[in-house]
Amino acid sequence: MPGFDFSNHTRNAALHARGVPLPKSTSTGTTIVGCIFDGGVVIAADTRATSGPIVADKNCEKLHYIAPQIWCAGAGTAADTEFTTALISSQLELHSLSTGRKPRVVTCMTMLKQHLFRYQGHIGAYLVVAGVDPTGVGLFTVHAHGSTDKLPYVTMGSGSLAAMSVFETQWKPSLTQEEAVKLASNAIQAGIFNDLGSGSNVDVAIITKDKTTLKRGYVRPNQRSEKQKSYIFARGTTAVLNEKIIRKEEISKYVSVHDLGSEETASGEKMDIDA
Amino acid sequence: MAAMFSQNPLMNGPNYSFNQTPTAAAAGNKEHAFYPYTDNGGSTLAIAGEDFTIIAGDTRSTSGYNINTRYQPKVFKIGGTTSSQDDANIILSVVGFAADGEALKERLDAIVKMYRYQHGKPMSVKACAQRLSTILYGKRFFPYYVHAILGGLDEEGKGAVYSYDPVGSYEREQCRAGGAAASLIMPFLDNQVNFKNQYMPGSGVGHDLQERERKPLPLVEVEALVKDAFDSAVERHIEVGDGLLMMMATKNGIEEKYIPLKRD
Amino acid sequence: MDTLVAQYSRPMFEKENFSDSDQMELYTAPILSPRFAMPPVAQPSAWLRAATDDHANPNCPIKIAHGTTTLAFRFQGGIIVATDSRATAGNWIASQTVKKVIEINNCLLGTMAGGAADCQYWLAYLGMQCRLHELRHKRRISVAAASKILANLVYSYKGMGLSMGTMCAGVTPSEGPALYYIDSDGTRLAGNLFCVGSGQTFAYGVLDAEYKYDLSEEEALELGRRSILAATHRDAYSGGFINLYHVKEDGWVKHGFSDTNPIFWKTKLEKGEFSNVTSELV
Repeated sequence: MPGFDFSNHTRNAALHARGVPLPKSTSTGTTIVGCIFDGGVVIAADTRATSGPIVADKNCEKLHYIAPQIWCAGAGTAADTEFTTALISSQLELHSLSTGRKPRVVTCMTMLKQHLFRYQGHIGAYLVVAGVDPTGVGLFTVHAHGSTDKLPYVTMGSGSLAAMSVFETQWKPSLTQEEAVKLASNAIQAGIFNDLGSGSNVDVAIITKDKTTLKRGYVRPNQRSEKQKSYIFARGTTAVLNEKIIRKEEISKYVSVHDLGSEETASGEKMDIDA
Repeated sequence: MAAMFSQNPLMNGPNYSFNQTPTAAAAGNKEHAFYPYTDNGGSTLAIAGEDFTIIAGDTRSTSGYNINTRYQPKVFKIGGTTSSQDDANIILSVVGFAADGEALKERLDAIVKMYRYQHGKPMSVKACAQRLSTILYGKRFFPYYVHAILGGLDEEGKGAVYSYDPVGSYEREQCRAGGAAASLIMPFLDNQVNFKNQYMPGSGVGHDLQERERKPLPLVEVEALVKDAFDSAVERHIEVGDGLLMMMATKNGIEEKYIPLKRD
Repeated sequence: MDTLVAQYSRPMFEKENFSDSDQMELYTAPILSPRFAMPPVAQPSAWLRAATDDHANPNCPIKIAHGTTTLAFRFQGGIIVATDSRATAGNWIASQTVKKVIEINNCLLGTMAGGAADCQYWLAYLGMQCRLHELRHKRRISVAAASKILANLVYSYKGMGLSMGTMCAGVTPSEGPALYYIDSDGTRLAGNLFCVGSGQTFAYGVLDAEYKYDLSEEEALELGRRSILAATHRDAYSGGFINLYHVKEDGWVKHGFSDTNPIFWKTKLEKGEFSNVTSELV
């Protein structure tokens, strides 16, 4: 397994001691929840990523794929949740291939906790692991230091208290799928509205023994209202001191350029933009 | 003598290198167990027009990741004769530490009221602005943790906005944003109110290009700008939201307006 | 009976409202020599430094606006005073339109560097003292005396955290054109030429190279402008507008509050200076 590169650690510690601030990493505030129901488990998350008091991403994905029937909701440092889940996902896939069995939720949880414990909390990943495997339904929380919990309903992140208040007042044993999804979504919304670190939309993943359904933007209670004014500038509003046009024939001396067909346009993932 | 004026923040300015970095900083900060300030977040904004002034502020009060309340006004009428302040003609907004803001507002209000009783006329915005500066400077060694903005109509009936630093340095301006999202709103205002970085298309080539002419905006347009500025600030700053309280000072007195904002 | 009770008891809410000094504030004009509220700690100055001094503590909660490049010099035709107009609070440009030349009265000017509020407040206070001097002595105060009022004043606050570097410029019949530098350490110097602020070195570079006492009025104004321009060009904490004043025997004259950007390009394109900057594309 590839390890971390610690070669800058001593230098950075010395700089920090002299008052140089550490660079900010995105997202410490989040609300994530999980809840089991009859025949499956649901996890949900808000979609706000922050960097200090600034919203870095209004619609980020906090539900991570581990295996087809195991998903993970992540809070804490965005990069750590992203990479830790990807790493464990890959190891679990190889494990599944070598054993010829479906991966189990406990296995995933154990690998995560062992990985995180080894790094003594320096990997800031706080996770809710949920899934369905041949042994049944699994729902766990994993803290950055490596401790875990197994509970019928769980919450994590800065909005965990707000979300837990919903579970503690409304949860009951043997929920139907619809009831559980509704409950999890309400719990996330409690976080969205009452915790500043959480916001925007509710993402939900429903895992049953037959299939996994990811509902991105299950509830969107925070759509931006329309702007009162148009902010389109007339062409030529920006001052230009000088201009130089580099034609395609010239630039192809430095980089390779190839034409797309007339109907063909560059395709890729569509970007979220405000109107 | 030179050292004292190089107020360059750590690592950024000239005359600075690593081994000059003040190591005393860490020790200096830890020394005191006296933390009288909290940042309650929020943002304010003021724009002066030809014959009006608008001062607006969001109504959220925060501490850390918590919302204390969704309705705590940051914009106040100053110096009216009744408890409802409906005959006031000066507007004050304060953002930063709410307790200091409240204390400052109460103090200024009392002083402006007493001025009216003693002189038999309302205080001019200009006089009030100078008085507010002395009040703030009176706590030069134990500052009010606030960014205050004062507004109203001047002696000629023109819109006036005065903005202050925490210890009372002040200046009359066309527009000003304060508080948590000041750095998000102020560049927008520079561009849309003072037309900074805007030129008239086709008015010249290269260095001959003419700047867009500055002219005061009408009330409806300014209102739209304020709403858009806050909607955008709410999108990108977690401490701004819930509600927008606007006060418009015109020759007919102060009109108040409340618009809900996003609550996430 | 009631009077007897009243004699020995105090009203229930005696201390509830304002203190005596607060009451004074409401009923009378503010006293001439102000008293300041102090934080309830053993070392107020150290506490203030931790809370407001950006240099000692970059994470300080209160960012006080600071002033930046100012200069003044004496020449045969009087005194030129020039400043930029930028105020910074940490890395944030708080304002680009600060008036850093403070008009103490119609023949005395002060400049602002360091804490903006300190300079604004104490130079206004100096203006009051100068007027009182006029009323008491039936003649205008000398620049030497005015600058000394300020120097003694800031010296009495030494070590408490005031931050100002100011120049007093004026022309009086007894002294002719007089220029003094005063800072919050208590320094007070008379001289021909001073630059103050984070951009001072850049301004000195231009000013020292071209300065002579026999400058014509036009040359002197241009030199003042050009020195500030050099400072705004190289110092990130200076910029905005160039504020130019000429102090003469019969009072000061203002020579504009002009945007640096067009002046920069004019200087570059018409005089061929700033050849390090180019708008040409390679």
